[in-house]
Amino acid sequence: MNSIHDMGGMEGFGPINPEENEAVFHYEWEKPIFGFFFCLFAGGQINVDVFRHAIERLGNLHYLEGSYYEHWLGAFQTLLVEGGTVTIEEIDAKMTELKGDAN
Amino acid sequence: MAVLTPEIVPGLVAGGASARVVDADLPAKFNVGDTVQMKNTNPSTHTRLARYVRGKTGVVNMHHGVFHFNDVIAHHGQGHQNCYSVKFTMLELWGEGYSATDYVYIDMFDDYMDKVS
Repeated sequence: MNSIHDMGGMEGFGPINPEENEAVFHYEWEKPIFGFFFCLFAGGQINVDVFRHAIERLGNLHYLEGSYYEHWLGAFQTLLVEGGTVTIEEIDAKMTELKGDAN
Repeated sequence: MAVLTPEIVPGLVAGGASARVVDADLPAKFNVGDTVQMKNTNPSTHTRLARYVRGKTGVVNMHHGVFHFNDVIAHHGQGHQNCYSVKFTMLELWGEGYSATDYVYIDMFDDYMDKVS
């Protein structure tokens, strides 16, 4: 698939500035996202290549603007919906509910 | 269904799982030293054949063995192929102005290439 993940030879992204003593996780929400990978792998919902391909299908703008674990989250959503575990409607309903809690 | 237990998590996190197929009876299609050309292909499915190397010519530098073939595993299929380290000059990959004596080594599957000589 020819999408934005295939960046070999591209220029214009600016310098790479690694953080000193970089934390493993930058936000609390990233921890369960990391854990999801192993749960879904053990449960047979994903393998590494299915997961990578789902990240390739995020959409090019989302891919460039999203953080590392946002890519993971997006891939899990795609694969759980495609696999029939959850529906987009269920995810949207939960998002609306959580937004309500925040207000 | 497999179950994820606390005991197997540290090993998975530390090392992942190998994609090598140790019991495959699959002869190598190419030999070390063969000149090979990568296919020019643009599948809408998953591939590890990066755009910048499609159509380019290199030399087989090493035979890694047989590995699960990502291009089909990514679509819930089953398959395995020989994997090789292929040596490309910077000149071949990037063209005029780039070195003919600096190299990039890229891992390639059987299906990604054809023998030139």
